[in-house]
Amino acid sequence: MRRLATGIASLAAFLLIWKLVVLVGGYPGYILPAPEAVVERGIRAVQSGVLWEHLAATLSEVVLGFALGASLAVVAGTALGKSVLVERALSPYIVAAQAVPILALAPLLDIWFGGGLLARVAICALIVFFPIAIATMVGIRSTDPLLDEMLRSLGATAPQRTRLLEIPSALPVIFGGLRVGVTLAVIGAVVAEWAGARTGLGVLVLIANQGLFDTELMFVALATLAIIGLVFYGLVVLVERRLVSR
Amino acid sequence: MILEVPANTGLAVRLDRVSVAFPAPSGALDVLDALDLEVPAGSFTAIIGPNGSGKSTLLRVIAGLLRPASGSVSVGGTALQPGDGRVGLAFQQPRLVPWRSTLDNVALPLELSGASMGVRRDLAATALERVGLAAAADLRPGQLSGGMAQRAALARALVMDPRVLLLDEPFSALDALTRETFNAELQGLWLERRRTVVLVTHSVSEAVALADRVVVMSPRPGRVAGVVDVDLARPRTPDLLGDDRAAVLAAEVRRTLASGHKVELRGWAEGVATA
Repeated sequence: MRRLATGIASLAAFLLIWKLVVLVGGYPGYILPAPEAVVERGIRAVQSGVLWEHLAATLSEVVLGFALGASLAVVAGTALGKSVLVERALSPYIVAAQAVPILALAPLLDIWFGGGLLARVAICALIVFFPIAIATMVGIRSTDPLLDEMLRSLGATAPQRTRLLEIPSALPVIFGGLRVGVTLAVIGAVVAEWAGARTGLGVLVLIANQGLFDTELMFVALATLAIIGLVFYGLVVLVERRLVSR
Repeated sequence: MILEVPANTGLAVRLDRVSVAFPAPSGALDVLDALDLEVPAGSFTAIIGPNGSGKSTLLRVIAGLLRPASGSVSVGGTALQPGDGRVGLAFQQPRLVPWRSTLDNVALPLELSGASMGVRRDLAATALERVGLAAAADLRPGQLSGGMAQRAALARALVMDPRVLLLDEPFSALDALTRETFNAELQGLWLERRRTVVLVTHSVSEAVALADRVVVMSPRPGRVAGVVDVDLARPRTPDLLGDDRAAVLAAEVRRTLASGHKVELRGWAEGVATA
C-alpha cells in the first residue's frame, strides 16, 4: 500500500515537472509536447488500433528473444563456469560478439535470418545473451567447495551436482544477469525493428518522427517501450523473489 | 524399515600400505606414507594425532573421496564407491545446503540414490529423531544453532543406515558442555547397533571416553605411531571415566603421541647441539 502510494506520488511529481518545463520553456508541441497531449494522443492510438499492432509485434520479439537468449545463456554460462577449457576457447568470441555494437550487427543478422520475426528474435537473443551468460558463469564458480565435497562423498554425479548445488548457488547472481538482460531485450527489439521491419514500436517511433512529424505519437511509443521494460523487469524480480529464498 | 539389527553389524576397514602425496611448490608433500590400518568390524576406533598428521586425509581415503597414490583400501573386503551407502561421513563443519529444510538436507543421500519421496521423508524423519532433532525438520539451516546443525549433519550421515560411520571431528566447533552431551549420545547411538565407527579427534579424553581402540598418528608424513586398546566397560559413565584406569590409558595415549613427535624433534635438537 505504502509502496503504491510512493509510486503514484513519484509519477505525479514527474508529470508535474514535465508540464512545468513545457510551460516555462514555452516549447512548441513538435519539440516537447505537454503530458496531457501525449496521454490524449495515446488514447487515440489505442482506439484506432495502431498502438496494439505495433505493441504486439514488439512484445513477441521481446518475449521470444529474451526466452531464447536467456535459456542459451544459462546453458552456456554453466559450461563456461564448469570448464576452464570451455571458457578459454569460447569467451573471446562471446566478448567480441558483445563488443561489436548490436546496431552494426543487426542488418547482417536480418539478412542471415530472412528478415522476419526470426531475425528480430535472434538480434534480441544476442544482446540478452552476454550479461546472463557471464552472470551464470560467475555464479557457478561461487559454489561452496565444502558443499561440493559433501555431495561428492554421497556419490553425486556431475549432473546431480549441477542441478542440486551449482545452479541453486548461482541463482541470485543469475537473476542479476536476468534483470539486466530483460531491459536489454527491449533495446534489442527496437534495434532489430530499425534494421528492417514494418511493425513494432521502434518502427512507430520512426514513422511518427520522420513520416508524420507527430511528436506526440513518438512520445506514446517511447512511453510504451519504457512501460514494457518496467513490467518485464518487475516480472523478473517477482520470479526471483519466489525462487531465491534465503 | 530395519528396526531389529543383530549386534556387531559393522564392516571392517582395512588400509594396506596407503600413501598419499599432495603437489606442493617444493615437490610432492607426503601426507600419508605406507600406512597400514585395520579397523575391526563393529569397533569404535578413534584416530588421534597432531595437526598435519593426515587424519582427515585418512578419513577421505576411506570414504573414497581421495584415491591414494599407492596401496589399497577396502571396506568389508571390497573397494568402496562414494554413494554406495556402506559408509556415512560427517565433516568438521555441518555442510548443510542453506536453501533446503533440515529434513530435505538429511534426505539428500536418499534422494541421490533415487529413493521415492515417501521413503525419503520416513527415513529422514527417523534419522532426525535418532539425533533428537525431530522438532527442527522444517527449519532452514540458517535457523539452527551450531549444535543443532551438527546434529542434522550426523542425521544425514546416519540416514542410509551405513555400516561404517566416519566422523571428522564433528563436534570440534562446539562448546565443551555441548560436546560432552554429544559424546554420550554418540556412544548411545553406537551401542544401539554396533556399526563400525571411525572418529578423528584432537582430544585425548574424548578418544579414551568413546573408543575401543585409539590409533595414534605421527606428524607428517602420517604413520601409525601406536595403538592403545581401551578396555573400559560400557556404557562409559562419568564415574568410570574419572577413575584411575581411564587416567592411565589417557597417559598412555599422550606418551604414544609424544613418541611420535620425538622422532621429528630429535634431529632438530641434535642440530642445535652441534651448532
